[in-house]
Amino acid sequence: MSRTKRDIIPYLFLVIPVLIYIIWVIAPMFYTFYLSLTNWNGLTTPEFIGFKNYTKLFNDKVFYISLINNLKWLGVFITVPVALGLGLAMMLNTAIPGEKFFKMTFYMPMVLAMVVSGLIWGWMYHPKGGLINTVIVSAGVMAKGPGWLSDRDIVLWSIIIVAIWRQVGYVMVLYLAGLKSINPQLLEAATVDGANRWQVFWGIILPLLTPVTVIVLVISVIDSLRAFDLVSVMTRGGPANASSVLANFMYIESFNNYKMGYGAAIAVILFLISLSFIALYLWRVMQDEMEY
Amino acid sequence: MNLKKMQIVFGLVLVLSLILSACTPETVTVVEEVEVPVEVEVEVPVEKEVFVEKQTVIYNSMNGDPDPRAADEEIVKRFMEANPDTEVIHSIVAHEDFKTAIRAYLTASTPPDVLTWFAGNRARFFIDNDQIMDISDVWESEGWNESYPKGFQAMSTVDGAQYFLPTSWYWWAVYYRVSVFEELGLEVPETWDEFLAVNETLKENGYTPIAIGTKYRWTAAAWFDYLNMRINGPQFHIDLMLGKESYDDPRVAEVFKYWRVLLDNGYFLEDAAAYSWSEALEPFIAGEAAMYLMGDFIRDSLPDEVEADLDFFRFPIIDPSMPIGEDAPTDGYFLSANAANPEAAKAFLAYLGSVEVQTYNAETLGRLPTNSGVDRSLFTESQQKGMELIDGADFVAQFYDRDTTPEMADEGMNAFMAFWDDPDSIETLLADLEAARQEIFLEE
Repeated sequence: MSRTKRDIIPYLFLVIPVLIYIIWVIAPMFYTFYLSLTNWNGLTTPEFIGFKNYTKLFNDKVFYISLINNLKWLGVFITVPVALGLGLAMMLNTAIPGEKFFKMTFYMPMVLAMVVSGLIWGWMYHPKGGLINTVIVSAGVMAKGPGWLSDRDIVLWSIIIVAIWRQVGYVMVLYLAGLKSINPQLLEAATVDGANRWQVFWGIILPLLTPVTVIVLVISVIDSLRAFDLVSVMTRGGPANASSVLANFMYIESFNNYKMGYGAAIAVILFLISLSFIALYLWRVMQDEMEY
Repeated sequence: MNLKKMQIVFGLVLVLSLILSACTPETVTVVEEVEVPVEVEVEVPVEKEVFVEKQTVIYNSMNGDPDPRAADEEIVKRFMEANPDTEVIHSIVAHEDFKTAIRAYLTASTPPDVLTWFAGNRARFFIDNDQIMDISDVWESEGWNESYPKGFQAMSTVDGAQYFLPTSWYWWAVYYRVSVFEELGLEVPETWDEFLAVNETLKENGYTPIAIGTKYRWTAAAWFDYLNMRINGPQFHIDLMLGKESYDDPRVAEVFKYWRVLLDNGYFLEDAAAYSWSEALEPFIAGEAAMYLMGDFIRDSLPDEVEADLDFFRFPIIDPSMPIGEDAPTDGYFLSANAANPEAAKAFLAYLGSVEVQTYNAETLGRLPTNSGVDRSLFTESQQKGMELIDGADFVAQFYDRDTTPEMADEGMNAFMAFWDDPDSIETLLADLEAARQEIFLEE
């Protein structure tokens, strides 16, 4: 085989997947960007209006509510499920009785579709007949349980709890895999040198888990930015936009109000936010690679 | 070396995607410019060869609930039996999904031929955008110009031509549990003061006066419709819907003062925002809640023994000097402007508007027919009463989210929910609504 042939063949194999990727991912991305500069109701030809959609967006209260809700979601998501998942992984990594059963139980929510989780929890949050309020009332904690999905102050947190419930098991599995790859001799050596369990955890286990942590954080960031299913199923962003997130806002504007251009502008902003996080991650990964 | 190659590949991808994306808008317009009949000429002969003269009509409907679904399927079956040379390809999509998908249906290169839709502003929008076929010839040949009352004709006509076929309608009213009213010796309230007194008595006796589930918001819009029409009259209401009156008008603020009395006194079901309209039926069915402002389709979801204990009354009069407006949404059908097979589609449409089908629908679903050829003696007592209710109205509105634009309805219904949660914020909410109105109606 000649040199040139050997060089070209891999690219020939790549042509089809790259083409598919361009047609279904890259091109729609640019088309969305173009749409965001138009006024389009889904019927007429898109009319070019420059950056008007963006100026309108930056003056839209709902946009800021959704953005802040996304940020709250993000803040909780990169801390709570990560800490809980790591804690569970540490516990279940030791040989305790029924360890397989617990692993399976904690991972179970991940197997359910988002929509199903949303529906189940929607019933649990039911103000009168729901599991949670029935327990609260019959235990005598409160005369009347809170309106989990109807109170503007707590509705977002009620939804985030469901997301956390789902995410913890996933994080746990990732960390368990990470823990398996740690050489036990390192831990033994540290113990022999007189390190206590906390010191072993902070000084050895956690640093060795860094690659897993980075992946977990990236997944958490992406999941919190694309949050949509739970909100759409449980509240549709209500009451009065209190639980709206950017993806839901985009959906309502495009497919309920038929403002495709405006919806596209929201999509572009969401894309830019995601991109900045992903760029940060890629930059970090590349730096790490340079070191070795 | 490797990095450089990667850069080249990425560069290529970028350039290609730029080229493609530059092409996309143009390809889209090209698709739109292609004249659909051209495709039809290609398609129809092929089908004719396969099915031997069999014509196809694509029919998309939104009758997703169990009873209407069964009726819809039965009608299609009967039509195909009577017209063996026509095949109706029928698909039923749930209400909300249908509303979302309809623009995609209509702009597809082969749109469905016959579609269910709402009369009024919602249909007008598609007519103005040339998506609906002129069916004046069907109206003419079927004699609908005589057999359909003037109001329904006007609803279907734009610039002298008919575009819509209204087939059924229903009324809104305050539904109540007769047994609860009897137990407490309550009379049906006719005025606002009487209505408040009824609410108070119900509440004192441990009942939830008014059931409502506002998860999907439109149930609250019904309260706005009625309060506004009763306080400010139907003309002001409809002008507000059309964007001709402003939301920061003191008359609109007045509506919320009345509304607030009901909220402050706790007459509505608690945690209403957690329920859909049908979930909020639960306390109504259990006999814990006494009244529900709802359309007549409430019957579809009630068990028989509750239906036997059900009656309704006209939303109480607030200002007796105002003409009476009622909500009575009308549903019907239209043909897509680019229907592939207009002749067969028109034949199917003619069947849908016929006395036979409307009688069937009135009997099975209890909807009110639009064709005056339907024998009124067949109507149940409640249908008779509903017709009287609407006959006694000076003005008939469709419904908040049908009378105004979808965008404005979205803003409005969000404001209603925010008001529900925090009645003190009404001033800012109305200022925001006014800003939204100016923007939305200026654009059009």
